[in-house]
Amino acid sequence: MSASAIFVLDLKGKVLICRNYKGDVDMAEIDHFMSLLMQHEEEGLICPVMAHGNVHFMWIKHSNLYLVATTNKNSNASLVYSFLYKLVEVFTEYFKELEEESIQDNFVVVYELLDELMDFGFPQTTDSKILQEYITQEGAKLEVAKTKVPTTVTNAVSWRSEGIKYKKNEVFIDVIESINVLVNANGSVMSSDIVGSIKLKTMLSGMPELRLGLNDRVLFALTGWSGDKGKTVVMEDVKFHQCVRLSRFESDRTISFIPPDGESELMSYRINTHVKPLIWIESVIEKFSHSRVEIMVKAKGQFKKQSVANNVEVRVPVPSDADSPKFKTSTGHAKYVPEKNLVVWTIKSFPGGKEFLMRAHFGLPSVENDEAEGKPPITVKFEIPYFTVSGIQVRYMKIIEKSGYQALPWVRYITQSGDYQLRTNV
Amino acid sequence: MPYIGSEDTVRDLRRVLSNPNVQSDQLRYRNTILKVIRAMSQGVDVSGLFSEMVKACATVDIVQKKLVYVFLCSYATLNPELSLLVINTLRKDCQDPNPMVRSLALRNMTNLRLPSLVEYVEQPLTAGLRDRAACVRRVAVLGWAKLHNLQTNSEIDAAVVNELYSLLRDPDPVVMVNCLRALEEILREEGGVAINKPITHHLLNRLKECDIWGQCEVLRILQRYRPQSEDELFNILSLLDVSLISPHPPVMAATLSLFLSLCSGLPAVGLAALERVRGPLLAACGNTSREMQFTALCHIQLLLRSLPGLMGEHYKRFFCGYAEPAYIKQRKIEVLVELVNDDNVAILLDELRGYCTDVNISTAHAAISAIGRIGRSYSDKCLEILTELLGLKQEHITSAVVQTMRDLVWVCPQCSRTVCSAVEGCEAEIQDSQGRHALLWLLGVYGEQVSSVPYTLEVFIDGVRSEASVGVKMELLTATVRLFLCRPAETQDMLGRLLHYCIEEETNMCVSDQALLYYRLLHCGIEETRKVLQCRRSDPSLGVLIGRPAEPINQWSYIFNTLEPLRPGAIETESATIGGSPEHMTFDPKPNNDLSDTLSYSFGKTVRSGESEHVQCPTIFRCSPQSLQAAMQLVNIQTLAFTPPHTLPWRVYLYTNTQNKHSADTCHGTLILGELLYTGEEIQKKSKDEENVGVEARQDKREEEREEDTAEGRSEKERVKKNTAEKGIKVTLKQQPRDEKALKGFLSVLTTVLHALSSE
Repeated sequence: MSASAIFVLDLKGKVLICRNYKGDVDMAEIDHFMSLLMQHEEEGLICPVMAHGNVHFMWIKHSNLYLVATTNKNSNASLVYSFLYKLVEVFTEYFKELEEESIQDNFVVVYELLDELMDFGFPQTTDSKILQEYITQEGAKLEVAKTKVPTTVTNAVSWRSEGIKYKKNEVFIDVIESINVLVNANGSVMSSDIVGSIKLKTMLSGMPELRLGLNDRVLFALTGWSGDKGKTVVMEDVKFHQCVRLSRFESDRTISFIPPDGESELMSYRINTHVKPLIWIESVIEKFSHSRVEIMVKAKGQFKKQSVANNVEVRVPVPSDADSPKFKTSTGHAKYVPEKNLVVWTIKSFPGGKEFLMRAHFGLPSVENDEAEGKPPITVKFEIPYFTVSGIQVRYMKIIEKSGYQALPWVRYITQSGDYQLRTNV
Repeated sequence: MPYIGSEDTVRDLRRVLSNPNVQSDQLRYRNTILKVIRAMSQGVDVSGLFSEMVKACATVDIVQKKLVYVFLCSYATLNPELSLLVINTLRKDCQDPNPMVRSLALRNMTNLRLPSLVEYVEQPLTAGLRDRAACVRRVAVLGWAKLHNLQTNSEIDAAVVNELYSLLRDPDPVVMVNCLRALEEILREEGGVAINKPITHHLLNRLKECDIWGQCEVLRILQRYRPQSEDELFNILSLLDVSLISPHPPVMAATLSLFLSLCSGLPAVGLAALERVRGPLLAACGNTSREMQFTALCHIQLLLRSLPGLMGEHYKRFFCGYAEPAYIKQRKIEVLVELVNDDNVAILLDELRGYCTDVNISTAHAAISAIGRIGRSYSDKCLEILTELLGLKQEHITSAVVQTMRDLVWVCPQCSRTVCSAVEGCEAEIQDSQGRHALLWLLGVYGEQVSSVPYTLEVFIDGVRSEASVGVKMELLTATVRLFLCRPAETQDMLGRLLHYCIEEETNMCVSDQALLYYRLLHCGIEETRKVLQCRRSDPSLGVLIGRPAEPINQWSYIFNTLEPLRPGAIETESATIGGSPEHMTFDPKPNNDLSDTLSYSFGKTVRSGESEHVQCPTIFRCSPQSLQAAMQLVNIQTLAFTPPHTLPWRVYLYTNTQNKHSADTCHGTLILGELLYTGEEIQKKSKDEENVGVEARQDKREEEREEDTAEGRSEKERVKKNTAEKGIKVTLKQQPRDEKALKGFLSVLTTVLHALSSE
């Protein structure tokens, strides 16, 4: 691993905050970062790792910030990137939004966090739940008493402290699936997959022991449960929160855990299967050079009639020099967003099985724009509540605590669009 | 906030800081310190406030303490004397009942990075190792590493090292991992922390307790362990199997790295491990973070070198999204080329065709040359696409297509007819020198197949005065002379004009010299010229080397999971000719790092190690220098000099410059010089007396086998040939600096090339 120093830069390359962990790389090296980046950008060859002499910069960009790690060792790249993203995650949990302003407004906490997150170039305490127990933004309010060491730093259950109390014991489970689809210009689905995550909002007292049951096919095969095969789900790349006992899951596929307090992501998974695109788009874009562009887009809801997709947005690309837009829609409304070269067609509620139409007309200038333009795809955004594409279901959630209280689990399902692209001919 | 000059700011801050009223009001005091730190972050030089800040660190307010420490650590090296004053407070804090305060003090004590303070720091650090609170022990352990880093040459107390070793059994996993890290640092001279059987098993058992950072660290350090028995090895492997399919890409990669180093002797197990990580790697390619995607792609490229079929059926996962950054697209394109097979070639080409019009020019070029690479196996379909691309009449696309076609024709001469008809008339769109260079080569070599060539060349010749690129002018000369050889009537006049211009008016030495050479050559007669210029139109030797054979894993395993695979061009794909005609490949050696430096050494001085080996491929000396050179170039070996074919003794001198980054921290290149010697005599058995008896012995065995082989069912006539066949090429290698791994790799590559060449 061994990052020598961590920098947070603004978009102009000015150092907002930095921390020198090892002292083996000159801190002035960062001055080369921006010029290197510009140079690569000009050549069209931006790369997340850049070298200057024997110093390597590994960087990520988050909103209007660059987070840069410098090293002069041949370090493990994926680990450094993981750490930089961990920084983003921790900062975001602290400041809600991680951006230039929040860094400047909270630089005391940022210094404190950088101090705890890493020592001598090695990541130390990176769990934001634990950090939040002893580095607080209220620190600014001066409390000398609030400096006692949290039990969690040495606790066996490092993600949950003892003595949590709630009047009403509840746990909210969100099953969120986003579908990624890539459709070719001739209408064939090139690739599709589902990325799901199960999020918890735990409001439980004490040290509860939770068990979650899903309709996971491997589990049913294991227990010999012969139900309707169609209603079970094969998950890939399952990733759990550290609280889940992996050994239990591997032996009998039981997801058992002591949950962290408050909001957390319990697990995420990916299902690599051929899904029917939930909202199907047929488009005809005709470009008559020097005169006009005619766009016809048909959207069809290919999901159950009972379900409704909310806040559907179909984003259709138009040439950057188009003008005088005219629209006609069978439902919803269309809007031209010239700064993004898009027509955004918004449909507040889109019932399954229905079909809608939008026509757009644009003028084109007689002088042709000779800037090279790619072929941006049509993208779609939507959200379908009470529905999961994969058919995954929470079968039960058992909550056991030694005080024996009754707790209520609440489950919510949402399917939304992820990277949902349909290529066009123009 | 109104702008205040830094001096005024400092003065104001100092006044407030030293105001007793402020000092007695904690809130105001802290806010002032806050202002100091803010100024520091904004780049104002506030080092003048050092003594005031030293006073401020004696406080019960922990946040204020932290802020002051941040300040002190930044400026301590500028004020070593004043820093001595802090030490007292810090040492007092190390006795504080609050473990947070203790760890804070200890951490910052070691962060001051002042060698003069070492003597004061050692005692609290020793106490820290035995502290009750884990968070203090964590800091103390790393503190020793920092201390060692400060004075690398000083001896570290053996008692401390022992204590650190015993802390490997600490109940807190972070302390354990920090111990490993610290020992690695402290014992670097001795090769890092000693990894023996009990330590290994202890670490493996506690792997699950660690966070991902710790796991990666442990897995990396365990790479040094060599299991004592096969049983033990397989026990370890089965323990590691869970982390091999870990959803965290860094853990997965670290485990695979460990797997590969543990089973370096068992290639089959290694390959099985590669199969096993396919799923997690593919998942990492779909990671939400682009940088993680990028690293995963780079590592997949490495894996494909040993298991070309690994991702075959998942090719769709490497299709590019519209908004993906260029660095990901280009890697994906490189991967896609490797995944082509009969079933998916149509879909793949269709997809790649879409990328050829990418807005990012280098991505478009990558896609075009990818189609060219695929064209070596599926030429018809690819040429169709490439021809279609020419129809777009886009400047940069046309240029890239012509270059790609040139490379394709060089390998697959059967495509020449299609290519010739396609490139006709596209000279108007090519503006850059590389594209014109490629076009001229094609026109010169296939001049008789394209009817309009004389007219095209005439345009070039008329514009030669305004031509800036030396390469294009030289290529123009060659192309015109070649055309003259096959179509003299049409070309004579313009060749005369061109030669006249180049000899009389051209200022560039290379161009005028080449023109003179051709001029004199033509004086010698047409036949002589033909002999020299009638080049080979393709390189059949490349054909042998193109279908890249699966490499053994250990060729790349040492760079796996480091920065190396992420560098552009780190994954050795095909050597793409950069400008120039394929024949001239040898004249533009790849950007070989610090070539001039290394070559300026004299042979005798730098060379430290000599090594000689015999390679059985006697027919090699009949091989033409061009194909030898081209083949060597392909594997990045440069030929320095060679004797003409069929002469005895036959010698070739070559060199290569590897720039390897392995074994974690070391970064050095190594220069290998080699001599190939074929004397035509029996291998001198006395060479056994040289250093590597082992190699010789192996060699003898091989020879015997060969003898048996050849002895069977061969006619007497062939027996004579066999006599020669028993003579080997003597390879003598010298290297600076010594790098066993690189040398072995070089030797195996060289042997492969020689065998491939001689089997023609």
